[in-house]
Amino acid sequence: MLDLAAVLADVRRGMIPAHVYADPEVFALERDRLFARSWVFLAHESEIPDPGDYVVRRVLADSFIVARDETGVVRVMFNMCLHRGMQVCRAELGNASHFRCPYHAWTYRNDGRLAGLPFHGEAYGGEDGFARAGQSLLPAPSMDTHNGLIFISLDADAPPLRDYLGDFAFYLDFYTRQSPAGIELRGPQRWRVKANWKIGAENFAGDSYHTPHTHASVVDIGLFREPKASKRKEGALYVAGPGAGTTYKLPPGGDFAEQLRYVGYPDEMHPAMTASWSASQRELVGGSGFMVSAATLFPNLSFVHNWPQIDEAGTVAPFISLRQWQPVSEQETEVLSWFAVDAAAPEEFKRDSYKAYLMCFGSSGMFEQDDVENWVSITAMAAGSMARRLNLNSRMGLSSSGDPIKPPMARDSFAGPGVAYQGFGEFNQRHWLRQWADCLDREPATAAAIDLGHRAVRGAAR
Amino acid sequence: MTAIRPLPYADPAHLAAHQFLVEEAALLDAADYESWLALLTEDIRYVMPVRVTTARGAGFDSLADMGHFDEDMYALRKRVQRLATDHAWTEDPPSRTRHFITNVRTFRTADAEWLVESALLMFRSRGDTREAELLSAGRSDRLRDSGDGLRLARREITVDESVLRTQNLAVFL
Repeated sequence: MLDLAAVLADVRRGMIPAHVYADPEVFALERDRLFARSWVFLAHESEIPDPGDYVVRRVLADSFIVARDETGVVRVMFNMCLHRGMQVCRAELGNASHFRCPYHAWTYRNDGRLAGLPFHGEAYGGEDGFARAGQSLLPAPSMDTHNGLIFISLDADAPPLRDYLGDFAFYLDFYTRQSPAGIELRGPQRWRVKANWKIGAENFAGDSYHTPHTHASVVDIGLFREPKASKRKEGALYVAGPGAGTTYKLPPGGDFAEQLRYVGYPDEMHPAMTASWSASQRELVGGSGFMVSAATLFPNLSFVHNWPQIDEAGTVAPFISLRQWQPVSEQETEVLSWFAVDAAAPEEFKRDSYKAYLMCFGSSGMFEQDDVENWVSITAMAAGSMARRLNLNSRMGLSSSGDPIKPPMARDSFAGPGVAYQGFGEFNQRHWLRQWADCLDREPATAAAIDLGHRAVRGAAR
Repeated sequence: MTAIRPLPYADPAHLAAHQFLVEEAALLDAADYESWLALLTEDIRYVMPVRVTTARGAGFDSLADMGHFDEDMYALRKRVQRLATDHAWTEDPPSRTRHFITNVRTFRTADAEWLVESALLMFRSRGDTREAELLSAGRSDRLRDSGDGLRLARREITVDESVLRTQNLAVFL
């Protein structure tokens, strides 16, 4: 039996009961207390550019249609027929003006409105028996977008997305707004790994410590020069709002344009980046000399930005990936990994960046391969009895009294918002885990069920 | 899909192509990747599009702009070099794989290359008790006579799952 209060108390002091990475009781709490409330990423607007375009995405077991309706408005609808509960859309992407349920042919417009109900008069006696007017597929309780990223929350009272993002929006721009045109998202590659979903989220949030060893092979072969320990420990870790991330230290003395060139952005992309980013954002790159690498937005959306060498000639090409750790069970995660690129970038850059992505991340990526090996192994070990006797130490960067072993960076050495530390530390993972603990500490979210199409007459119910 | 008929199974070209695929599979199962690279042309393209679930009338069932692999010789060499380092943890201990190649059909093309289509089932086992992984795919290959035996110039892998149930693609198909 889970002693939740004890688990959360341990987590909050930076000691992580190992079983939380494979515990069905914890997973049920995550479903009911965390994913029932949090803002969760579903799709990017560039995936559904034209009216009628749709993709189908999930929040755990709940399937949603993300569609652009005939007027160009993005809609997110629960993919369950109002009549008998069939999935009304069983493809994962496409273009449709209507979704017709295969069971009894109830038909919905691509904005969710119920457009067809066979034999309404004969079967129901018309509006009195079933109020058809105004019915639509259940909309996501909350839906909001930022930089074209479409998020939903199962909580109808979720705060506005921009309020939720807080200071992390500053860092989000590096991945999703390199020009006023925004990004285009390609993919996702999807695959299932026997690993708990939290491990990837924590890793991307701040585990710069694993990079030199887990990813030693990509340094060995000259694919990416940065992960070696001597460079990695010069990077800064930041926490900002509900997000946290890692950076690499760029060569000393470079200005904004030189640093962009160093990571492989051709000069023709610089004006749009200059126009798109604020003075502080440019200062982080040009003055402070830090470039974002991995990051996680709580709970399960991660980002990565690296710049490997993609050919024998030594061409360095940066790439961006968005990835979601979609929980399947306490021991299984579906990874959705997208390639993202500035929509206004030259075609040659897009091609090089895509190549860089495929070599490094995603289902075949040479970085990702070794990450997943670790996470599968952790999950398997966490499922046993002995794991209940071990609290993993996640206190890196803290003294025994709980103070940071070094001061946070001053704003003149790290121009971004939030709190940043240079070098190794598990500040970011603890930040992620504190949010996780706060979610699990709340009562389960509940919402009243809707009586569909039925106007109760007092005393007449059968 | 080609409209032309495959070569008769007794045709020496078909026999040579079939033997090439079987011997290539043996190299992959033996993890002899250096020898495998030697079977590829310098201008190799090795692609594996992401398959997707779409309505029958959609007209496509894979993504045009996203693959699991989209490799040239540089990328494949890097992958092989990586597996040869002491730090490619995901394949150390190595997987036990078996590439089953069947349904081989060989077609002559307008140029000097042969088009060879085959079906692949790859069994992959890791560790002691982990569930084994299966990966089913079709392959469409271009084989070229180098003067010193056949070489693989292009491979398109049509995987039969939209969500791969394998930990990663640290293996070749």
